[in-house]
Amino acid sequence: MGKVSAYFMAQLKRAWKLLPAQLAADLLICVCAGVLVYLLVAQAAIDAGGARYRIGMVGDLSDSYLGFGIAALQEMDDSRFMIELVGMSEEEAEDALARGDLYAVMRVPDDLMESVVSGANDSLITYTPAEGQKGLGTMVMGEITEIASTLVTSSQSAIFAMQQVLFDQGRDSEAARATDRLNLSLINLVLSRSGFSEVEILGYADGLSMELYYFCSAFLLFLLFSGLLNCGFFARRSAALSQFLKAKGVGAFWQILGEYLAYLCLVLMGFFCLSLPAAYLLEREWIGIPEWEGMGAYPFWGFLRILFPVILMFAALQFFLFEAAEGIVNGILLQFLCGAGMGYLAGYFYPAAFFPKRMQAVGGRLPAGVAARYVEEGLFGKVSASVLAAVFAYLAVFFALTVFVRRRRMGREPL
Amino acid sequence: MAVEIAGIKKAYQGKTVLKEVSFSAQAGSCVGIVGSNGSGKSTLLSILAGVRKADGGSFLHEGVDLLRRPGMIPKALGYVPQGDPLMEELTAWDNLRMCCDKETLKRSLSQGALRMLGIEHFLKTPVRRMSGGMKKRLSIGCAVVSSPGILLLDEPSAALDPVCKEDIRRYLEIYKREGGILLMVTHDAQDLDLCDDCYILKGGVLHAYSYDGDFHKLADVLRAEE
Repeated sequence: MGKVSAYFMAQLKRAWKLLPAQLAADLLICVCAGVLVYLLVAQAAIDAGGARYRIGMVGDLSDSYLGFGIAALQEMDDSRFMIELVGMSEEEAEDALARGDLYAVMRVPDDLMESVVSGANDSLITYTPAEGQKGLGTMVMGEITEIASTLVTSSQSAIFAMQQVLFDQGRDSEAARATDRLNLSLINLVLSRSGFSEVEILGYADGLSMELYYFCSAFLLFLLFSGLLNCGFFARRSAALSQFLKAKGVGAFWQILGEYLAYLCLVLMGFFCLSLPAAYLLEREWIGIPEWEGMGAYPFWGFLRILFPVILMFAALQFFLFEAAEGIVNGILLQFLCGAGMGYLAGYFYPAAFFPKRMQAVGGRLPAGVAARYVEEGLFGKVSASVLAAVFAYLAVFFALTVFVRRRRMGREPL
Repeated sequence: MAVEIAGIKKAYQGKTVLKEVSFSAQAGSCVGIVGSNGSGKSTLLSILAGVRKADGGSFLHEGVDLLRRPGMIPKALGYVPQGDPLMEELTAWDNLRMCCDKETLKRSLSQGALRMLGIEHFLKTPVRRMSGGMKKRLSIGCAVVSSPGILLLDEPSAALDPVCKEDIRRYLEIYKREGGILLMVTHDAQDLDLCDDCYILKGGVLHAYSYDGDFHKLADVLRAEE
């Protein structure tokens, strides 16, 4: 046991000497990852509704029905989060469209409501998107305009028909009340249309906010790739040393244990040093995470505690990959390929919910996927035994495989 | 104190590397083993060092079969593999500390094997800045710092300059004189001068060879075997 601890101490000393170089590499990676996360979050914020579509309304909007409809859309309807309707003149709309201030212009004909009320249905709302827009947004807006036109004209035609029937039957006194009731039914129908269908929103890891999701992903990705940053630890390792240690009574298991613990210390030291700036940014609220709002860096320390088993597992994985690869260059390539592949499948770059079900199933069972699941459950404070067991099972498997490879290698060296 | 190696066998993937290898060595003697590349010399040494398992045979030392009781190997022998078993980033002191406690190390540096090897001159030098000779001396130092009775050396003077070779040879002579047993695998004629018994490993079997200082003759013998 004394020799094992002496070997561990020697490896720890190596790790300590490698720390400055590792920290420099960590810092570089963190700056890059930080920029990447910032861009992803900013883009996602835009996609999620940070910027509304501004649509110019041109034409006679003075009609009370139309005015009420627009007001309802702007104040009560779900579309108010996505669309901003702005009344303006034709000239103003053209200028704004040319400047790119408007997403589109809707032209309401002057005789629209008269046409609708009379049942003629010959006046149409025209929708003009900004020049060059031929994307999904334009198509969707076209569809919405068509649906709105159809809904309004059809329903108003129905009201007109009902009024005619009542007049023909001499029930004029009931017409006004019946019209109001039909109009209210229509408004109710339009405003509550979201009840017609159920929209499945692809959430970020079953309930995490986008910011927290990418924050976790960035940390997990950093840990997954930390084998690349710490490759110095695996360089210049000599097979002769393994053989010498074996002759000294330190077998493959104890060698790997000593090296693994020292490597773990190196990873933890680097990780801790880089967590400090992250904690500072959170404390100053320069990183805005909705779940942690107003709590400063306090939840972050809990998050680091949650990450600990993941660090153990990823360190074992990296150890195994470097042990299995012949030479440091192959080891680095293997680390990169495994890290990128697993990170992608596990949803570190994009939420896994975007992937087909089969891919999600595969990604979720990989070490990176298990780690993501574990962190997510940890953040909600309800880590299931199965996920925790999977994390430690992977750790044990990688450790055992590393020992196996070391044993084989010691017996296989050209002698 | 003596060692007796008997009937060591080893096969790899169906290929027999060692067949019934047997020899013995007395205290204060040196046994040299030569053979062409790939003949199994280093395999034999690694088996004796406990790095690999033999398929059969025994390695008796003071009445104990070390192959059956590998836990006793670390105390009984020191092993210097072909490469340098050193951590490049660490100093000589750090590397030696891995092999023994501080007291033993200090004692050896002041009056023991490490002093004889001249290691105190580069104790604080990182291994990556050492010359080949310094590394080899340190490797031997790591193996002998705990004063084992048997020393297994795998090509101790390969790629060393004559001065280093001489330094190492001088130490090995002292080791022998103090009653140690040297088992050496080598290609170097100067190393063979140190040996009391010389064997040629051929076809997995050891053949006794009387080395008379004529290295060309030995080379002819080895060539004939191929």
